[in-house]
Amino acid sequence: MISLALRFGPFAARLETPFGVVVDGLHRLYPDESFIDADEFCDFHVALAPGKFAHRWIRPQARFLIDGTSPFKPLPADQALPMFEWGLNYAIAAQAHQYLVVHAAAIERNGRVAILPGAPGAGKSTLTAALVQRGGWRLLSDELALIRPGDRHVVPLARPINLKNNSIALMRAYAPDAVFSAETHDTAKGTVALMRAPAESIARSHESAPIGWIIFPRWEKDAEARLAPWSRAAGLMEIAHNSMNYSLHGAAGFKLLGDIFAASGCYRFTYGKLDDAMTVFAALA
Amino acid sequence: MTEAAVTRRIGAFVHWREWDGEIVAYNDRTGDTHHFADLAAWLFRLLTRAPASDEAIAAAAAEEIELPPAIDRDAVIARALDLFARLDLLADDERKDAA
Repeated sequence: MISLALRFGPFAARLETPFGVVVDGLHRLYPDESFIDADEFCDFHVALAPGKFAHRWIRPQARFLIDGTSPFKPLPADQALPMFEWGLNYAIAAQAHQYLVVHAAAIERNGRVAILPGAPGAGKSTLTAALVQRGGWRLLSDELALIRPGDRHVVPLARPINLKNNSIALMRAYAPDAVFSAETHDTAKGTVALMRAPAESIARSHESAPIGWIIFPRWEKDAEARLAPWSRAAGLMEIAHNSMNYSLHGAAGFKLLGDIFAASGCYRFTYGKLDDAMTVFAALA
Repeated sequence: MTEAAVTRRIGAFVHWREWDGEIVAYNDRTGDTHHFADLAAWLFRLLTRAPASDEAIAAAAAEEIELPPAIDRDAVIARALDLFARLDLLADDERKDAA
């Protein structure tokens, strides 16, 4: 059994697992300084355990456990690394209620943050990966934007970016110096690969920033890049729906989102080519 | 004491924001958030200013709202009021005794 502790943004997690391939993968995806002493305080105590009974050996499985309980069904053992990242997302969404947690990417440039919510397939992660690798934007998060109620800042959570299917080859070509995990096939999301967060983004994990824009991206084949103002009221409703814990924050959560939308631009962004998207975002900040 | 007159207003437990004529409203009783546009947004705004009777609402709508002739303004307002009631957005003390 291997035990390690990992710091990411404001959190730390302790992992116990017999899967050496997961540990190797984490060392590929996180810098050395992210690995902390195993006896340091950790917010999350997780394990990747082998499947039960025959599934230890026949069609081997991995189980994700947090605090000794398993919130997910087991997955094939070769999906253990992405399962760890998905499990961390679950842990943050289920427990980090000191933040308003929104299912969205968050990137920063010149001191202001763009929040990028997106339904699966909207091209959110691909756009985020391109912007942080080549567009001069800093990665704050690929999946979960952490909004701190006190100052309405987004708190960095620079973790690997989860790329799927065609986006993997696209980003390998677009950012040839980026570091990727091995590809995992036949997951519920298709083929997935994790892309390591840029070093500068991880190094600046203590630098929060205020929100300047809320941008709803959508990839459409051959579409021209177009950033169009959108209804703040409709945008607030979308963010509320995309938040993991908006309802828990009650009226304070509504006031927080109201203040954010009052101070931010709200847009819809359609794009077909990453180079065109880079140009639009370069003009934004 | 004569027959009670019904007045309606948005409850104090409803928090709301307005941008470009559209309303988002948070109901602190139900925990639900709602989005209103067009006539529903107009009516919501009206009912946040002061309690209004059906007659006062109809008079304000006739003065301020232009609708295509084919649309029954009173029916649209009745549907919006019914929606507000179903969403529990109206104050409890909407029924006042007339003098």
